[in-house]
Amino acid sequence: MRTIIQALSLLLFSLLFIFATYKLPNWLPADIYLRIDPLLGLNAIFASREIIPRVLWSLILIGATLFIGRFFCAYVCPTGASIDFLDFLFFRKKKRPGLKNEAGFQKIKTGLLIVFLTAGLLGLSLAFFLDPLALLTRFYTFFLYPLTITLINLFLDLLRPLSRAFGWVALSYLHYFQPVFYMSAITLLIFGGIVALNLFAKRFWCRYLCPLGAFLSFISPLGLFKRKVSPECNECLKCQKACPMGAIEQDPTKTRFPECIQCRTCVKVCSQEAVTFPASLSFSLGGEYSSTNFSRRGFLYSVAGGMTFGFLAMRTPFTPLQSKHQLVRPPGAIPETEFLRTCIRCGECMKSCLTNTLQPCLWESGFSGLWTPKMDLRLAPCDQNCNVCGKVCPTQAIRSVSLEEKNHAKVGTAVLLKEMCLVWAQDKICLICDEICPYNAIVFRPVEGYRRPVVIASKCNGCGFCEKKCPVLGESAIVVVPDGEIRLKEGSYVKEAQKLQLEFKANPGDDKFILEESGFKIESGKKEEKKSQPQTPKGFM
Amino acid sequence: MALGVVGSPALMHAKEEYDLVVISGEPAAATKKALETLGGISRFVKKGHRVVLKPNMSFARTPEFGATTHPMVVAAVAQECIRAGARRVLILDHTLHRAELCLERTGIREACKNISGVHVQAFQDRKFFKEIKIPQGKVLDRVEVIQEALESDLLINIPVAKSHSATGVSLGIKGLMGLIWDRESFHSRFNINQALSDLATVIKPQLTIIDATRALASGGPGGPGDVKKTNLIIAGTDPVAVDSYGVTIVPWYGQTFKGRQVEHLLIAHQRGLGKIDIEQLKIFKGSA
Repeated sequence: MRTIIQALSLLLFSLLFIFATYKLPNWLPADIYLRIDPLLGLNAIFASREIIPRVLWSLILIGATLFIGRFFCAYVCPTGASIDFLDFLFFRKKKRPGLKNEAGFQKIKTGLLIVFLTAGLLGLSLAFFLDPLALLTRFYTFFLYPLTITLINLFLDLLRPLSRAFGWVALSYLHYFQPVFYMSAITLLIFGGIVALNLFAKRFWCRYLCPLGAFLSFISPLGLFKRKVSPECNECLKCQKACPMGAIEQDPTKTRFPECIQCRTCVKVCSQEAVTFPASLSFSLGGEYSSTNFSRRGFLYSVAGGMTFGFLAMRTPFTPLQSKHQLVRPPGAIPETEFLRTCIRCGECMKSCLTNTLQPCLWESGFSGLWTPKMDLRLAPCDQNCNVCGKVCPTQAIRSVSLEEKNHAKVGTAVLLKEMCLVWAQDKICLICDEICPYNAIVFRPVEGYRRPVVIASKCNGCGFCEKKCPVLGESAIVVVPDGEIRLKEGSYVKEAQKLQLEFKANPGDDKFILEESGFKIESGKKEEKKSQPQTPKGFM
Repeated sequence: MALGVVGSPALMHAKEEYDLVVISGEPAAATKKALETLGGISRFVKKGHRVVLKPNMSFARTPEFGATTHPMVVAAVAQECIRAGARRVLILDHTLHRAELCLERTGIREACKNISGVHVQAFQDRKFFKEIKIPQGKVLDRVEVIQEALESDLLINIPVAKSHSATGVSLGIKGLMGLIWDRESFHSRFNINQALSDLATVIKPQLTIIDATRALASGGPGGPGDVKKTNLIIAGTDPVAVDSYGVTIVPWYGQTFKGRQVEHLLIAHQRGLGKIDIEQLKIFKGSA
């Protein structure tokens, strides 16, 4: 029963993950798992000092946990399900040494929780690092998703001769776009490490490390179902050994309730049928159920740890430089400082990105920018028909806005590097940046007897098609820099763009203007021979 | 019965003598009329043929931008091919924007989805391309081309009429660039006009149908730009002649031109790939 619910939850998580892509319907909250995570929510609220509407979804989980107890870990958490599943695959037959000081290790996660919340109060978003849902979404995005596409394409390649022979046309040419990410290896190492820890104890992660588990255990002692052991118990200790959470004490009739996730493994293994989980509404605030057993010293150490992290991460040159940051952020990203505080680094935006331009940062904006999304416009542009990154952002560090608003959320401005441009530096006939620009922000002007491309900054929203398509090897001869970006916490990008007299519209460009201004003319032999050297638009003679 | 048998080949023969067919009218109707006037699609499509249609669907733009071939024109040609007994019609392009967006926004996938035997496909992976030699190439001696286009029984080029900031106009011959893998090199490494005529020596569509139902008279090839409502379909077997006529339908960038003034067409003509002076062509003009 429990495994079925767990499997269904993991399936739902995976399906929503798959749906998080271009054309995501507005009614489908693909990021719902991340929204209901109260740790991510608290972290974002603490760090940004704002109430974020989407985060209020986590009240569902808080309420349910208050009422039922810490059921989430055993039934809902897709990370828990993945760990259980991989444990079953790899370590089922392993003998595990177990850890001697069970209760002591269990406190680690509480310590981590305090570290993260303290760091959050100092304005540093850190919980993402070990939050199970952010962690799993990152693992899915940066590793599992690209891997799956590779495997599917490999399978299609193997099938191709057959598809051709049987005339299955659609299948013959089916090929999925292969997404790639900078941080796949690191993400795999972290997740792999977490699974490998199961060699020491079952659900090592959930028992000792998971800060979300620690948070839920704080509010679980008020819960509805409580493990109860009847006098039938013969103290065989089977349940104590089988408990994946180490929630049963040496005396098997006693339960460490904050650790109990109500998986009922103990019920299953009990030969005496002595263990039950009766529903009882006897809340006992402050009684034995609520004692978390965390010492004052541990608390102080954790707070100190959080403050140290906060200090080290925030007091670096990166912080004053945030106002002059160098990265091109996704369209709709709130102002840089708030963005870094609000983003929970789940990677959902990068997964959903249609073109694969969104990439995780390593150290480009310091410790506080780890895994935040940046646009790598040399790799891929941002498509003007897509606004999915905001739609799936659980904390709205990237705002969910309409297509028109999104296209006005200027991310930067293209700058032409004349020494590298084939036309400026080598007089070649190249027009790719102009050809591909969706906004006619690149025009050709006659300079030194030759038509050369020029960027009109007020028409460029930084989509990066030019940077991506520039045929120059290595660094593009036209690059998008964050200068001129529009980052708003609230309000309309369209209005802001109007105020700044920017125009990102698909209207007839400046080509006519060039023709008239430049004295281009046609050698049709009719009339009008100007004295300056005769010129025609490119391609005509 | 006998009359029909005797009559239609004679009629067809008469119609075959036109170098060019220019029909004005609504996209689908004009396309059908143009094919009919050329002698019917069965002049090109034989039973069991594998046909490749090459429209321009390189940009994720809706039809009114004039940057891509009108979906109804493509669908009409595809429909006729199937009706003439084609085993399969593959509509393809190597798109500049993301494939699924191009197929969706151009409307071409939607227009063709209910015609059985017709498949719309954008090729964005190198494994679907095959390298061929260009024996007469001046600047280009080899090129990677979509394999299916090489192996098909019939290639019909269905470009849209538009301006182009490097080649002046983008019509049939320029549209052939959508069949090759390395499009960028045409801009960065080679003289694009020379490279295009090299390409035209090895890729020879048996039929070219220019969708000039609207013409992107400036701002091409991607648009946005000045879209003129021209309501024309231009069809013929001589790629240079069809393009040369296409040059004359609207002023490009506000100026009128002839085929001879378009560098890549002139080079192609000089290399014997087709006729360029439309005054010397037999042109059927009609409306649908």
